[in-house]
Amino acid sequence: MKSQIIFLFLISQFLLLTCSDAHAMHISEGILPFNWAAFWFAVAVPFVAYGLYRLKKLSNIDLSFKPLVGLMAAVVFIISCMPIPVPTAGTCSHPCGTGISGILVGPAISIVITAVALLIQALFLAHGGLSTWGADIVSMGVMGSFAGYLTFRTLRSMKINMTIAGFMAGLFADWATYLTTSVVLASGIRGDSPFMPLFTKIAIAFIPTQLPLGILEGAMTAGMVVLLYKKRPDLLVKMRVLKPEEVTA
Amino acid sequence: MEIFSEYFKKDHLLLKVDARVKLIVAIIVLIMVLSYKGFVFPLLVVSLSLALCIRMKIPLRVFILRFSEPMFLALVLVLIKFLFSGKDAIFSLNLLGISITGYREGLVEGLLIASRIIGAVSIVAVLGFSTPFTEFMAGLSWLRIPKGLIEILMFAYRYIFVLLEDAVVIYNAQKNRLGYSNIRRGLSSFGILTGSLTLKAFEHSQNATVAMVQRGYDGNMPMLKHKPFKPSEIIISLLFIIAMGFVWKI
Repeated sequence: MKSQIIFLFLISQFLLLTCSDAHAMHISEGILPFNWAAFWFAVAVPFVAYGLYRLKKLSNIDLSFKPLVGLMAAVVFIISCMPIPVPTAGTCSHPCGTGISGILVGPAISIVITAVALLIQALFLAHGGLSTWGADIVSMGVMGSFAGYLTFRTLRSMKINMTIAGFMAGLFADWATYLTTSVVLASGIRGDSPFMPLFTKIAIAFIPTQLPLGILEGAMTAGMVVLLYKKRPDLLVKMRVLKPEEVTA
Repeated sequence: MEIFSEYFKKDHLLLKVDARVKLIVAIIVLIMVLSYKGFVFPLLVVSLSLALCIRMKIPLRVFILRFSEPMFLALVLVLIKFLFSGKDAIFSLNLLGISITGYREGLVEGLLIASRIIGAVSIVAVLGFSTPFTEFMAGLSWLRIPKGLIEILMFAYRYIFVLLEDAVVIYNAQKNRLGYSNIRRGLSSFGILTGSLTLKAFEHSQNATVAMVQRGYDGNMPMLKHKPFKPSEIIISLLFIIAMGFVWKI
């Protein structure tokens, strides 16, 4: 088993070195058989429905909310298309951007944002897919957004400073996405094989990119939160990321 | 972003077909590919899709870019299944103390998954290459996809290009000032770049709202009106699905 794991790690390094751009977060079109694709759709639907309900409620109060959410989706789309060098793998991968959207607009709306970004990527760039849309929404949207949001809120409630809270939120959003992607992949492709050994192997295969990428995403999220705090703290108050007294202090 | 379909769309036969028809046919064939347990059907779908892409004069570079990521993932999955799944060993070797065994069942399973991936990707690629975004949105609204989601899709698609131009300007400015000369500076620059994009998104959303309200925006966006279906398109699509269903069944 140990030698197999070492071999898998070496193989993944080789593949990553020979591929210019790895989009490991998106589960590609066709990977999941029909029953698993349908299952993940069913899991994603209530979350997206709740996000749309929140969107409708908030846009009734503020007309600019829908355009803002649309633009945030465009930002998430661009961020998740940006290749970032991953030094340990000698290749490029991409961040998710769901951590920051979870922090700024809350996890429910962030799921809608992710769903939109994923659909455009699936249709026009072949990142992810239509059949894996549900699975991608669950791994990137649901897990990424909730992990980012909950980490940031928990750390802020413990009076941890903005940079560290932002960094940890980005890190956990990325790693939560990567772990969920491994679960989805292992369950979808295992066939008659047992789940756990395959899950372990897939998780190990992702380590060369996702481990450093989580750190990069953490740094990016921290940079974004700090920049917004310095330049437009009023926006963070409006989005209920900060309390008004935190800004004046 | 020239890889977006809008940038190289030519006048071709599929462009004139109703987006709703294309969407329904694509979804049905996609379900067939996903639920098929062999090589023949996905490979038939890939061949048909390739022929359509050649007929649509899709640039080779765009085509390769579109398929590179799914092909890479397919290769990884074939290797994982080949080396770690099954009992009937095809080969076994010892490389620097590491024992490597390849299994027949794993290889077959891996190749089945790979064929499913390429088949499914080729369907969605043809759909994406042949359908303008606004028509696609109208098709989704006809399929009763919630209007809120479609509105966000339309806003996002409209502003991707605007924000991308902003991102390129900021990135070039950072690069000229050695903002990506080492990992530490690169991380900091990337954080500033994405933060600036978020700020731009806030600004654009405010400006867009003001402009839209002045033009009568009340929180709802109008969708394209659906024309009646053409009987010829329905008949051809039905015949195509029946033919594909026949191949799928055997």
